Amino acid sequence: MAPRIQSRRVSNALLPYLTSSPSSSSISSIPSLSPSSQCLARQFSATAAPQTKLRRTMFEWLNNEGAALKHHMPGQTNYLRNPRDSNEGGGNRPFPNNPNFISENILSEELRNEIYERVVEKKKSVRAVSVQLGIDMKRIAAVVRLVELERRQRAQGKPLALPYARAVHEMVPTTPLAQDGERQQFHEPINDLPAHPTTGPQIFYPVPESRSFTRVDAGRVFSGAPALEREVAEKITHPSDLAEKAIENPNSIDWVGKGENARQVLQPADVRIPHPQLVKLELDRAAFPEERRKVAQLHAERMERQEKVETERRERAQSRREKSIKHVEPEGGRFDYRFSDAVFTAETTGKDGRAPWAPGRRYGVPTNDRKRGVVKIPTRVEA
Amino acid sequence: MRNRASTSLAKGKIRQSWSKYNLYNLQRFRTPATANRTFFQQKWTAKALSRAYHGEQVREGQWKRMFSKRIRSVIPMSTSDLAADDGSKTSAGRGSGLEKRGRDSVTARLTPYTQMAFAPLERRLDVAIFRSLFASSTRQARQFVIHGAVTVNGHKMRHPSYLLNPGDLFQVDPERVMFATGAPKTKFERRETRQLKQKEEETEGETEQAKSEGAEAKEDKVENAKDTLKALMAQAKTIMSKDKDVLPAKRKQELRGFQKAVRRVLSRSETSTVLTDNLESQFSELTLLLKAKRAEKKPKESKKDKKDSTEETAVAEESEGASDKLSEAFKSAAEGGEVDTSELSDEEFDVLKRALTQMRDNPIDNTKSYATPWRPRDYMSAFSFIPRYLEVNQNICAAVYLRHPVARPGSAEVPTPFGEAVSTPAYGWYLKRRW
Repeated sequence: MAPRIQSRRVSNALLPYLTSSPSSSSISSIPSLSPSSQCLARQFSATAAPQTKLRRTMFEWLNNEGAALKHHMPGQTNYLRNPRDSNEGGGNRPFPNNPNFISENILSEELRNEIYERVVEKKKSVRAVSVQLGIDMKRIAAVVRLVELERRQRAQGKPLALPYARAVHEMVPTTPLAQDGERQQFHEPINDLPAHPTTGPQIFYPVPESRSFTRVDAGRVFSGAPALEREVAEKITHPSDLAEKAIENPNSIDWVGKGENARQVLQPADVRIPHPQLVKLELDRAAFPEERRKVAQLHAERMERQEKVETERRERAQSRREKSIKHVEPEGGRFDYRFSDAVFTAETTGKDGRAPWAPGRRYGVPTNDRKRGVVKIPTRVEA
Repeated sequence: MRNRASTSLAKGKIRQSWSKYNLYNLQRFRTPATANRTFFQQKWTAKALSRAYHGEQVREGQWKRMFSKRIRSVIPMSTSDLAADDGSKTSAGRGSGLEKRGRDSVTARLTPYTQMAFAPLERRLDVAIFRSLFASSTRQARQFVIHGAVTVNGHKMRHPSYLLNPGDLFQVDPERVMFATGAPKTKFERRETRQLKQKEEETEGETEQAKSEGAEAKEDKVENAKDTLKALMAQAKTIMSKDKDVLPAKRKQELRGFQKAVRRVLSRSETSTVLTDNLESQFSELTLLLKAKRAEKKPKESKKDKKDSTEETAVAEESEGASDKLSEAFKSAAEGGEVDTSELSDEEFDVLKRALTQMRDNPIDNTKSYATPWRPRDYMSAFSFIPRYLEVNQNICAAVYLRHPVARPGSAEVPTPFGEAVSTPAYGWYLKRRW
């Protein structure tokens, strides 16, 4: 509903074109008639007041303290302030009552294009770019997708929301791309360890003081696996050895439990962080404190080896998948039919062969999109 | 479903909306008092408050099915710490490390787990669209989805309750986003649109007049180039002037005149063989022209600039902002007689260039459903933040849902206006074994 007090605001026509200037914008607003003068004006009126007290106080606030929030200041956040906080400046907490929510930086346009250039044009690996710029690997993949889509849309001449994009980048804090010679500001922490649910309960596990109890042992205790054999344990000099092993051979991770309860043994943090190779790099640095070049060379070799192993494994899996699918393209037809053999085991069809996830149709049983009471909203959309 | 986001001042509930009513409610919200209230009452109030904000469009039973007591969290690891210790130092002695480390006790911050109570709702498509700043409220985002303006991974998705999976790319029609986030039209602009429509219907065969106008423009070519540039400057100056009494229609006329003048300048230069109708090439042509002129007279420039600045310091002090800088430049250009565009300093050139670029990207167009040139709606900045679990490309109005929101020491990724004093009892309310 529009305010019943008419607030006359006239702004310059070219101003929206000039908002991205570093200096403050010069939009001015004429405050509406103050409520007190309005009350005086209708002293002898018998008609009901046009506003409730709540509305009056609201517009009073909007015209006084709230007036600063009406327009944004380019390059600066403009959030509600906690009245108890006296510090000046934009601040990055949009909710005055919630100190735990922070308005985080977003990637600037230049940084986004730089990521795309490095990954797509210079053919750098996502992992390497992530470490260089301090950006999460998932975000890098997403940025590449989005920039690719943007370029395609520009080429097709589809409408873009450029003024909107500019305004948002002026309102939200951004991480800029470093100028030449500057150090790149890291966007976010890249080695986040997700808290595993099995580490939730507190476990009292007595260990003799003489025994060295490492992260590897703690992971086994949490997942209920027996302690490692002595010979095996002695071979592990540092938990990050397991990371290399896990990358080269993922099947080297032990399993515990039977049947449906079977689960992999919880690995130490060195394995589960997104960039386990950085731990090895730190170890190398500690081992050869004076030989920077050697450390860099060791790191590069390790990275190359691991990347090679990973690509090989990916290709093998892809070829195996393709081998199991039979393509049939009828002549003159529009479609490419793909057949894959149904596997009938206890896992795929259930014990009686009639599990709901089993392949094929069951006589007399309607499919799920026909049943009453089953949610038909798709749970995933294939890209 | 009625949009109650902007109407309840009496209850003062906070909604997922950019309305100024909501801003006022947000501003006056105080954590409810717990003294003299039973624990049940406290939880009830907390639940009511937080549900008014989180998934107000979702039925209570639906939300109860979505709720999960397990909260995702991460711990940022330092690789140097991991390398320094394999864990045996921390477990040495009686199981809590041989010596107390002072550093940890200082830096250790608590993870606000209960602030994540409503994290499952952030997976919803309508909420994610609102969080990416593509709609001014979740209700509006929901409407966009239902009206078919949203695609997920390139397929049209009509279910606002679709739960995004990590890696899903969703895209909203840019026109809708501009409408949702832009300032609304004034009644004058609406009337103008109506009149434009009527005129179009009435006169469809009057293309001949336009042709004659074009001929006029050709005649103008004979004019001196300097004069046109000066005229251009003068026009721009009036546009830039901060005269508040100028009517929007008048301003638009002037702007159109300015654009026309730019076109005229372009058509005069011998090099231009491209059609002036093409805005893109037109713009690049103009910038090229300006650049060339600047390069020619660079040595002179600095001297004159100094002189100008000494003369106009008084004027400069009165005004503020880059718009004034530009208008000053225009003024000096218009008043100085011989002064050309080449007299502008680099900074002013940048400003002019930016103004021209933006004029190209953000034209006056009465057929749009929002006020043109586009500008953000009032109070948008107070609500604009983009949480980390989304990666947004504003140019094409597309975003990727990277991962589920997580809590980390000291911060939670679910945007909620309430502190832990509200979110903790609300979390307790939804546990199966209620506190």
